[in-house]
This record gives sequence, C-alpha cells and structure tokens, in this order.
Amino acid sequence: MKGLTALFLGILGTFAFSWVGLTMIPNAQIGNLEPQMDEDGNDPYPAPKSGMADRGRQVYVGNGCIYCHSQQVRPSYGGSDIDRKWGERRSAPRDYLFERPALLGKMRMGPDLSNIGKRAPVDDENAPPPASTDSTAAAPAPPAPGAGTAPPATANPETPATASGAAPPSPAAGSASPAPVVAAQTAPAVATPSGPAISGEPLQYSAEWHHRHLYDPRSMTLDSTMPAYRFLYEKRKIGGQASTDALKLDDHKAPPEGYEIVPTYDAKCLVAYLMSLDQSHALNEVKSNTPVSPQAPGTAVK
Amino acid sequence: MADIPTSSSEVTRGEVEQVERALIDASTRVPVLMFYTSAIVWLLIGTLLAGLTSFKMHMPDLLSGVSFLTWGRLRPAHMNAMVYGWASMAGIGTAIWLMARLSLTTLRHPLLLVAGAGFWNLGVLVGLVAILAGQSTGHQWLEFPPYAAAILFVAYSLVVSWAILMFRFRRSGHIYITQWYLLGAFLWFPWLYGATQIMLFVVPVQGVMQAAVNWWFANNLMFLWFGAIGLGTAYYMIPKVIGRPVYSYHLAAIGFWTYALFASWTGMQRLVDGPFPAWMITASIAATILTIIPVATVGLNHHMTMRGHFQLMRYSPTLRFTVFGAFAYTVFSLVGVIISLRSMARYLQFTQASVGYSHLGLYAFFTMIMFGAMYYIVPRLVGREWRYASLIKLHFWSSAYGVGLMVSMLLIGGLVQGRDMNNSALSFTESTQSILPYLRSRSLSGMLLTVSHFIFAFHFGMMLFGLGRTATVPTFLNPHVEDVKTTV
Repeated sequence: MKGLTALFLGILGTFAFSWVGLTMIPNAQIGNLEPQMDEDGNDPYPAPKSGMADRGRQVYVGNGCIYCHSQQVRPSYGGSDIDRKWGERRSAPRDYLFERPALLGKMRMGPDLSNIGKRAPVDDENAPPPASTDSTAAAPAPPAPGAGTAPPATANPETPATASGAAPPSPAAGSASPAPVVAAQTAPAVATPSGPAISGEPLQYSAEWHHRHLYDPRSMTLDSTMPAYRFLYEKRKIGGQASTDALKLDDHKAPPEGYEIVPTYDAKCLVAYLMSLDQSHALNEVKSNTPVSPQAPGTAVK
Repeated sequence: MADIPTSSSEVTRGEVEQVERALIDASTRVPVLMFYTSAIVWLLIGTLLAGLTSFKMHMPDLLSGVSFLTWGRLRPAHMNAMVYGWASMAGIGTAIWLMARLSLTTLRHPLLLVAGAGFWNLGVLVGLVAILAGQSTGHQWLEFPPYAAAILFVAYSLVVSWAILMFRFRRSGHIYITQWYLLGAFLWFPWLYGATQIMLFVVPVQGVMQAAVNWWFANNLMFLWFGAIGLGTAYYMIPKVIGRPVYSYHLAAIGFWTYALFASWTGMQRLVDGPFPAWMITASIAATILTIIPVATVGLNHHMTMRGHFQLMRYSPTLRFTVFGAFAYTVFSLVGVIISLRSMARYLQFTQASVGYSHLGLYAFFTMIMFGAMYYIVPRLVGREWRYASLIKLHFWSSAYGVGLMVSMLLIGGLVQGRDMNNSALSFTESTQSILPYLRSRSLSGMLLTVSHFIFAFHFGMMLFGLGRTATVPTFLNPHVEDVKTTV
C-alpha cells in the first residue's frame, strides 16, 4: 500500500534527519578535540582528572549536585557570569574534553562551579589537585595551578580582583549596593589569599571551607539554600590524638566531648573534585575577557 | 465490515459494530489494565517524591541527614518515576487500546504485552533504587544506570513488536490520524532511546557532545514520544466523544508532518550561549519557532471539530480533560517558543522557569490527556461506570488549579530569579532568595496535585475491584441533558 510506505519512510526519514543534523554533524565538528599545547608541545590543557577527583565526580553526580550547580561560563554578552567572577572567559568545548559525564548543568540554585578550584586561596596546600601524569604520554609537565608552571603573568592578572572580590556573589566591592547578608563571607574574603585564616574561619573555597560548607552550608554562607551533606561525614570517637582532618565546627554544632567529625573518603574525593575545577587556562579559540580593573568590578552590568 | 456474519436479519449493522468493539475492548483488558495500574502506582510514588523534593527546596534541612533522601537524589528519582513509570506506562496502555480499536482486530499475543509491562516495571524499580542509592548517570532523564535501561529496552521491544504485529493484522485499510502518531511514537522511541544509550554509555561521545545528545534526547522524548501519543489520543477522543468527524484531514496531515520535521530538531535552544557551535543552537531556535505551524494547524483542527460542542465539556469527563490537555499543548508550545528566544533565554536559562516548562508539557498537556483517556477506556475494560461524578470533578479541578498555579509560579519566579541572577550588583544568593516565595507556592500547588492523584487512584481502585456503577449510561459530570450522546 502506497500510503503506508510513505508513512513509514516519512516517520523514519524525519527522525534520521534530526539524528544526523543534531548529533552526527556536531559530533564530527566538536567531538574529536585534542588537548591544546604551546608551540613546544608543553603545557597541555585540559588534563584528565586524578583518581581522587575522578571519583569525586561520581560523588558529585550521584548526589545530584548538577541539579543546582552549572559548570559553564557564558560569554559576557549572554549573562553576568563573567561579572560575577565565575570565570575570566567563556567556556569552550575543549574545556570538557575529558569530562565524562560533562556536567554543564541547567539550573543555578547555587553558583556556577566552572572555576571553583581556581578560586581557591593560592597556597592552600590542598589546592593543586594532582593531575594524572600517566594517561597522556605527551604531558611532561601537567599544569598545577598556582604551583609554578603557570607563570603569574597568565594566571594572575585577575588575582587582585579575586582577592578583593572573592566572595562568589561578588557584590561589586566598591559599589554602594545594599547587598545585605554577606557578612559571613566578607570576613575571609578580605584576608590576603596567602594569609592565615582569621578567627578560625577557613579561607573561602579552601579545602577546609568546602568541608565545613558541605557539612553545614549556612555556617559558611548565611543565606545558602543548599542542603547539608552530613552523611558524607563520620562522627568518630577520638582515640588518642585528634585527627588532623577533623572539622573545626562552631561550638553549638560541635560533636560532644571526646568525639570528632571527619570526612569520609567520598567527601575528600568530592572536595578534591571541586578543587580541580578550573577553566582559567587560556584557549586559542576563545578570546579572554579583558581583565577589569580591581576598582571597578561589575561595571559591565547590563 | 462485510465479512462479519450477520445471520440474523434483525441485527443492525450498528449493533454488530458495537458488539465487535466490545469484543476488541475485552481482549485488551488484561494488558491495558496492567499498564494502567502500574502507571497509577508510579504516579503516587512519583507524587510523594515530588512533594519531598519541592518542600526541601525551601526547607533544605528537612531529612537532609539521610543519604538516599538527599535532595539531589530525590529529584531525579521523582523525574524518572514520572517519565518512565507514570507517563510512559499510561501512554503505552492507551496506545495499545487505541491501536486495537483502530486496527479493528482483537488483541493477539497478550502475553507479549503482559511480559512487557512486567519488565518495564522491573526496569523502573531497579532504576529508581539505583538513583536513590547514588548511582545516577548524571544525564537528565537518563539517570537510570545502563543495566536498568537495558531492562526497559527489553520491555519496550516486547511492546513494540506486539504493536507492529497488531498493525500488520489490521482489518481496516484506512489509517486514521491517531495511528500515524502512534506508529511514529512506537518507531521513534526505540531509535531515540537506543541511539542515546549508545552515544552516552556504550561508545560515549566526547565532552560537551554528551550534553548535546542529552538535550536532543530529552526534547525528542517530550515531543516525539509523549507528544505524539498525547496528540494521537486527542485526535481520537475529541471526535469520538462529540460524535462528529475530524474537521480536516488535510490540516491533520500538514500538522503531523511539520511536527515530525520541526519538533525533532528542537533541543539545543536549551544550551543558549553554552560551549557549542552557535549554528546548533540557532537551528534549534529556528525549529522551535517553526513548531508554531504544527501547533496552529492541530489547534485549529481541534477547535473546528469542537465548534458548537463546547458545552459538552460540562458533562463528559473525557472531553473536559482532553480539551484541557489539547489547549495546554498550544500554551506549552508557545511558551517554548518564547523561552527559546535568545533575549529571553538569557534570563530564564538557569532558572526554575525550565521546570515550569517541563510541567506544562508533561503534566498540563500529556498527563491531563492521559487522565481523559483513562476515564474513557477503563469503564470499557471493567464493564462498570465510574462511581462518583463528584470525585471526577474534584480530580479535574484540583489537577487544573494545581498545575496552573505550579506553572505560573515557576515561570514568574523564574523571571524574577533570572533578573536577579543577571544583575551582578546583587549577590548571587539574592537570586536564590528571591525565588523562595514562588517555591513555597509551588509546594502548595503540589499539595493540590497530591490530593488529585490520590482521589483518582482511589476511584480507579474502585473500578478495578468491580465497585463501579452497573449502568448503561456513562457517568456524567453534571445532570444529563437530552442532546448529550451516549458515547461520552
């Protein structure tokens, strides 16, 4: 029957058209990217994640972090992501080369995390996540953010700005916006990145900050709506000496005398993953945003 | 119809057809009721998960200490329970019944379908447990780990092989509009699901392409699976209940083909300004705008069919739910066009508006049409009529108000959230604070929907256990008036 054949062919043909057009052709275009190197074949970017960070990604996925946090910085004409210091440039396909799954996200009930690792205090000893060296043979010197391979010239035009506006909501430090409840964040933010934490508060986005934030979000960000992830932490009886990685909690949150709260391996992996998130490396195909002067952040508000 | 033996001369042709239809309905009874019952159980489970998800959004400390009740696991569990448990099973049940009716053959090989329903339930159960245990894949609407997806795929193959067999043995040469859509849905789904599984898990594509494949899947699942079943059902129910043919076959054909062509190209508009070649996003935005053509033709066709008969919505539960759903389809598509425009997407992209949009499609459009279909089909399977008109009315109004409130709160709230998020003079948390009142109202609307679903499940349970009315006249929502056809 003629009508029937046409029906079947039409049904299959229209769909094949969409399949080829929206998945096959784009895949041919951006599905086979290689890490970018400099002229000498050094400084490859991106690099695969280390074992712990890789496992941390599974913790991130399994607990549905993606339903509130995106990992993509839009260009300056497409939103205020760059004004908010979520990144210095827009995200590009190459940034996600080794991501599986690629966690672009579609919701921001929490801030974007594309560069949350980059925004950690520079000399936090936990900050540079060990990039795996074994998987790419042509990776003699995996970039260790802030550890030396990235000279200050590339990594730091932004540093003054990050230092002054390190609070994620970056409420335009100089502007007279009412921006009410940031007290909890401004304290660590004004500290110099290299300086010690003031009054027991961890530096923002340091490993310790992440652990305390995961354990009790509102102790770090007053009006956060993030749920606590206490099931990633263990209450343990202190036998002998207290663990070095035990959380330093406020008095009313602290465990009873003789007990301590320590992160599980999953929690450590998750934090290692978060601290590995860094898209600050320049890419040839993306124009970096001209660094704004530290005095006038957020002037490009549309 | 000539081959039907009409031995007794006093039996009219109409009566023969009626008996024949009853026989066909009876043959579909076990598999369709099995799909429907499972669907409604998943609906209740999904509703409870939704309630927890919604309340936890503005009460983050609620039950946060339990790993499997953490928000980030409840939310995908809710979505998947609704998408694969409720909506897909209700859709397949309806499609089976429609296919049997329109092919004019009694259902053959019911065991294929019963086994299909069993496997499908198993797949959804395994998948949900895996998500709650923290083994989600991280791809939206595809959170089931591959082993659960494999079970679903086995289940689906059983169903689709049945559907093709059924269609093969059809007795009517004429292919009705509904069958176009159902055949489309039955063929598109395995391709879509299979291709996506392969591209994400078997031979995974690189980096951002995963997100593109994911959105391609999610949008096509909405349009080519749920959308096609929903529209096909509406094309059957509306003419059937009011007792007149579809206004224009020609319009229907235009609507179907433009739908298949344009709707399948949407998806990437949800990635506006993301790390993708701009042409992909532009192509999807253009396709989204072009879906106005099928939407307008389908809407016009339904409207012209209904013209002069809108008062029947006072009486017929099926018509009331179906017309609501068909209208919601128009609204859904137009909202889809508006939020896909770059200027709007900039504000709405990462906000609750997208959740509102999904509910507009999956609930206001698809779920309402499925409710309507169930009100029509279930009495024909169990041989009883719905017991209480008041319960049906309560179901309708709590669903209609519930979803109306939910969608408007999420869309308006999304605008507010997006405006504050894009204003970098405000701290980021102000954008998440400003949406909280809307999220609380959303929880309220969710309570309305919970009431509605439990009422419906109770009523359905009564029908299942033979507690419906024994009557020859269907249950009308309001006292019967003489000009109402008995086909309601």
